[in-house]
Amino acid sequence: MLAILLPAGIGLMAIAWVVHGFLLDRMSRDFIEHRLMEEVTFLQLQLQEVDGVVGALQTGDYFQEVFHHAFAVHSPTTTVISPETWAPLLRPLIQSGKQGSIRVQNKTADNAPADILAYRRSFEIQGTPIVVIVSEDMDALKLSQAELHAWTAVVSVLLVGLLAGVIWLGISFSMRPAAALQVALKQLQTGEISRIDVKTPDEFRPLVQQLNQLLDSLDQRLERSREALANLSHSVKTPIAAVRQVLEDTNRPLDDSLRQQMAVRLGDLDKQLEAEMRRSRFAGPQVGKSAYPVKQARDLLWMLGRLYPEKTFELSTSLAEESRWPVEEHDLNEILGNLLDNAGKWSTRFIELSLEQTPQMISITVSDDGSGVENTEMIRLGQRGLRLDEQTPGHGLGLAIVRDVVERYSGLVRFMPAHSGGLQVRVEIFG
Amino acid sequence: MRLLLVEDDLLLAEGLASQLAKAGFSVDTAHTAREAELLGKQEDYRVCVLDLGLPDGSGLDVLRNWRANQADFPVLILTARSDWQDKVNGLKAGADDYLAKPFQSEELIARLNAIVRRSEGRVRSLITAGRFELDEHRQSLKMGDGIEHSLTGTEFRLLRCLMSQPGHVFSKEQLIEQLYSLNESPSDNVIEAYIGRLRKLVGTDTISTRRGQGYLFNDTV
Repeated sequence: MLAILLPAGIGLMAIAWVVHGFLLDRMSRDFIEHRLMEEVTFLQLQLQEVDGVVGALQTGDYFQEVFHHAFAVHSPTTTVISPETWAPLLRPLIQSGKQGSIRVQNKTADNAPADILAYRRSFEIQGTPIVVIVSEDMDALKLSQAELHAWTAVVSVLLVGLLAGVIWLGISFSMRPAAALQVALKQLQTGEISRIDVKTPDEFRPLVQQLNQLLDSLDQRLERSREALANLSHSVKTPIAAVRQVLEDTNRPLDDSLRQQMAVRLGDLDKQLEAEMRRSRFAGPQVGKSAYPVKQARDLLWMLGRLYPEKTFELSTSLAEESRWPVEEHDLNEILGNLLDNAGKWSTRFIELSLEQTPQMISITVSDDGSGVENTEMIRLGQRGLRLDEQTPGHGLGLAIVRDVVERYSGLVRFMPAHSGGLQVRVEIFG
Repeated sequence: MRLLLVEDDLLLAEGLASQLAKAGFSVDTAHTAREAELLGKQEDYRVCVLDLGLPDGSGLDVLRNWRANQADFPVLILTARSDWQDKVNGLKAGADDYLAKPFQSEELIARLNAIVRRSEGRVRSLITAGRFELDEHRQSLKMGDGIEHSLTGTEFRLLRCLMSQPGHVFSKEQLIEQLYSLNESPSDNVIEAYIGRLRKLVGTDTISTRRGQGYLFNDTV
């Protein structure tokens, strides 16, 4: 911006200077022409008073002294040119028939200027034709004009400099918070500070807040994954050691009870791994992450319809196909998949998924037409490891996972009887 | 009952093969994607257990190639990943069921028997109307441009009803019979909502409304 504005300003200044020169030139020329004309008129009056006798005119250096101008008066009998040195310039003008102002340039004569402006008028006094010429040395004028012009240039340059200085000052003043931010970022990078804490104007505050939030969530994630890995290694290493011990002991026969024990250990190991993996997979609310609820729901409904061919999975929603929810895609899949899978296991024929959105919250409701859950059991639903139906393996874990994910979004999971007597699970996440 | 077992872990493959043999399957084992693809195309299997992570390629690609070559035997996918999206992708590629590792042999055998039973008497049945192709088994709609859309149960049944007789006007009452609902007496609005959703898929002109009579599938559009 500055790179464009400054040269443009300088360019404009230069144009103004050139125009100023041109105008100055024209103005002074007009002014001089006017003065020369007036002097000619004055001379004419003087000549008329002396009845056209040129010799009767007070001559000498009078005009030059009074007017600082050279002049020539010519009648058929007399020719007066003052000062004498201008004669070679003025004599040809007397002969020329031109009236009004004449510019003579590049004439070289000793002691005479090279550039003059002359005003010539011819008239008759009592029958005698008289020519009067008054002229001015333009060189001298030009010199003073050039001086003025030069001063204008100096003032212009000073003005441009002042302007640039003021702009630079303004910018550096207004960018001072950004510079502070830059320093803070550098410090952050080198580890001198862990959070950005600078006084910033209102425009930068959301940016700094977002950055700090991002840093917070990074820290949390690191901490969480470290903790998860520590937990995992603790619970995995022991069973591995036990199983390896059994396998290494060649003297010990691998009987049924030992096999069973080993299988139990491996089963525990798998459960731990699965639990930790699920926990670490949940993303939680994140900046810049969103999901297409309708598309994801359709895919899951279709899939479960394939897996449970005798049951019907239906979607009821007024959301558009392309509407987005501020939930991470994987997390939403985890909520929908587990709720639907759970309902699929319990239902006799029909499962309905309903997706709704209000400005305040998004809600997911899954209802089935199964035998439902006793009110007394309802409060225990969703607790880890609780299995109300021991015949369907893995059941109960699903709802606990849903609860875990929804908690990350500070949402609610509610259980209630469905109209058809089955179970209705409602997840509410507030925007 | 011939079974194709595709698993690259030799120890697991060996153990599984003997368990499956005990359960009455005659087992062929493949350890690589190339081998599996060839066997699947050449031999006539009754069912297949397919591991997704193979050393020379993805099991999903093998499955897609089989399906493209009309190898229609039911397939159960085995994988260490138990992501919902993985399951969806597996079924979209043409699998019939999904089992996450580790698993118990009894569960695997029970599921295999279930998908074999389900596939019995199954023929590849397609309903074609205009530029649309409805796959009854996969419950999906293939458009003229080759894009496949998965349908929910009711959408599928409604569309099957309409597409079975293009040009025939079905009354709302007839269509309601295709509907199952938690609600005892589904209203006309429900049908309208479903028709609206189907129209989004196939285009507004393809399903036309006959005022006071019902709906028809226009296969000339």
